[in-house]
Amino acid sequence: MLKLAFYGKGGIGKSTTVSNLASAFAANGLKVMQIGCDPKADSTASLHGGARMRSILDLVRERNNDFTLGEMVREGDGGVICVEAGGPTPGLGCAGRGIITALEKLQEKGAYDVYKPDVVLYDVLGDVVCGGFSMPMRKGYADRVFILTSGETMSVYAAANIAMAVKNFRGRGYASLGGFVLNRRNAPDEDAKAAKLAADFGSAVVGALDWSETVQRAEQLGKTVVHAFPESPMAAQYRALADAVLAAARKGDAPC
Amino acid sequence: MKQTATIISIHAADTSGVCSMLYELGGMVVVHDASGCNSTYSTHDEPRWYRQDSMIYISALTETDAILGNDEKLIGDVVSAAKDLSPHFIALCGAPVPLLAGTDFPAIAAEIESRTGIPTFGLHTSGMRSYLAGASEALEAVVSRFCTDALPRTDAPSANIIGATPLDFSVNGTVESMIDWLNRKAGFELVSCMAMGSTLDDIRRASAAHVNLVVSSCGIATAELLRERFGTPWVAGVPVGEKFSAVLASALKTSAETGECALPCADRDASASGKKLAIPGEMVFSGSLARAVELDLGTPCRVLCPLEAEDRLLAPGDIRIFDEVAAAEAFAASSGVIADPMYAPVCPPDVPFFRLPHEAFSGRCYRKESLNLIDRPLPWRF
Repeated sequence: MLKLAFYGKGGIGKSTTVSNLASAFAANGLKVMQIGCDPKADSTASLHGGARMRSILDLVRERNNDFTLGEMVREGDGGVICVEAGGPTPGLGCAGRGIITALEKLQEKGAYDVYKPDVVLYDVLGDVVCGGFSMPMRKGYADRVFILTSGETMSVYAAANIAMAVKNFRGRGYASLGGFVLNRRNAPDEDAKAAKLAADFGSAVVGALDWSETVQRAEQLGKTVVHAFPESPMAAQYRALADAVLAAARKGDAPC
Repeated sequence: MKQTATIISIHAADTSGVCSMLYELGGMVVVHDASGCNSTYSTHDEPRWYRQDSMIYISALTETDAILGNDEKLIGDVVSAAKDLSPHFIALCGAPVPLLAGTDFPAIAAEIESRTGIPTFGLHTSGMRSYLAGASEALEAVVSRFCTDALPRTDAPSANIIGATPLDFSVNGTVESMIDWLNRKAGFELVSCMAMGSTLDDIRRASAAHVNLVVSSCGIATAELLRERFGTPWVAGVPVGEKFSAVLASALKTSAETGECALPCADRDASASGKKLAIPGEMVFSGSLARAVELDLGTPCRVLCPLEAEDRLLAPGDIRIFDEVAAAEAFAASSGVIADPMYAPVCPPDVPFFRLPHEAFSGRCYRKESLNLIDRPLPWRF
């Protein structure tokens, strides 16, 4: 079982990218579980027609611990097992603590043992703002962290912060850095900036995605590009990225 | 009101269980909590505090450290103290604030161990569970780490006692009486008593025992670990009263011969009807006492379970009670009650109440009244 966590600045395209990776992995015959770690609970929407699904914390809120594993998941396109951690009432509670509770519930109910996914993808909100959002990279959860970035300054800044967090946690047996993914926004010198960022952390840009209207069209259909437009150039880019991510994840510990 | 305790006490929390279980083993226990809280975990619940050295510390967590996630201060302080004290191990415990902050104790423990070379455990205490959960996890962590070699069984029959802490047995000679009973009446030499009166080196030799005697439900996880690792069977019960002590001795011998585990503490008189005597408390002790009362005094009993306990520890007729309302209702339907004095206010005046202090429930308040019931006539008549 390969467990991969994806981090990056809010709005950089993590959920879209992770969902397309999930579709690409599933199309290759892998059993995939995608876990959205964002209070908005919309990570997996494009894997099940754009509809919202009930999150783990919704279940906790309604029924404390009186629910089954089956109620925590929803099977999406291509058989991807979709999970949304969810969050507290907006403006109240503690979202980070919520992520911890949700992931602990998933483990307690035996999600990894029952579904036995080949690949688990954690799609994590924005930045590692507190202990809760480092949960997916803790021991027993993700093996590798991939960081999405564009060439825009704020995105690079956020990516560097996340990479620094991964580096700081190295002594704790947390996930190691698998690499960076460049999601192009057509910023000046974008590829060079991403490459320099990766080099600064002794890592590499494992793949790049172009900006494409196809992504928006698929989103309007409530589907991933890989599923809605499998013959498109963009779908080919996602499939190539999926191969690159798998290859990077299966390598030994990346230097960090 | 449900799930509240406005009149009676509540049981000591998981952190107290850790401190109590590890007190005598030469390890350093660090509770990550605000300064001053050591009295909560150790002084009030710990009869050994003023007469026996220990290495139980509070990290003096501040609001700023919690908000800023300043784990490095905790790590640095523990590493520094460990270099001075050279403990056999280090155990890190959480409290409610680290629970909410999501502090990753196993990861911090790994970091401390890599810096000091001293075995370090991160325990999942939060103050939200009872002492049994903390004591159980702490003992299992120690045994898992230090009891790794499959030693040859001793020539003479031998046993470990698992789950003994002052929270359940006070310091009034009860544990010494259990060891004496084990030697003289049951015919087993003691390998180790986990964890009162034995050293970490004694515990390292636990695999040499033929059978394990679990005297509190906090010992079951460790007994299961030893069974899985070395094939040692276990028997759950406390040798209270006269006839039940003999039953337990026989169960230990049978278990050592057959390799089968047994729970004599969960046996009751199935033919009894009508009102029964109620005994609230930890299930292995209370179940043993209930059976002892039935056998020695002929009074049918049921145990009221206010703590975490596996279903197999409850006999038919035993019930779980989650709050003082449930306790009061159960008492009212009973022929009498044997319980810690702090239960007395919710016992109806027409139901006879017999005081039996339980340190995990009332701390040091009634310590002078604590009873040693091991292998002797019970002091009550109903």
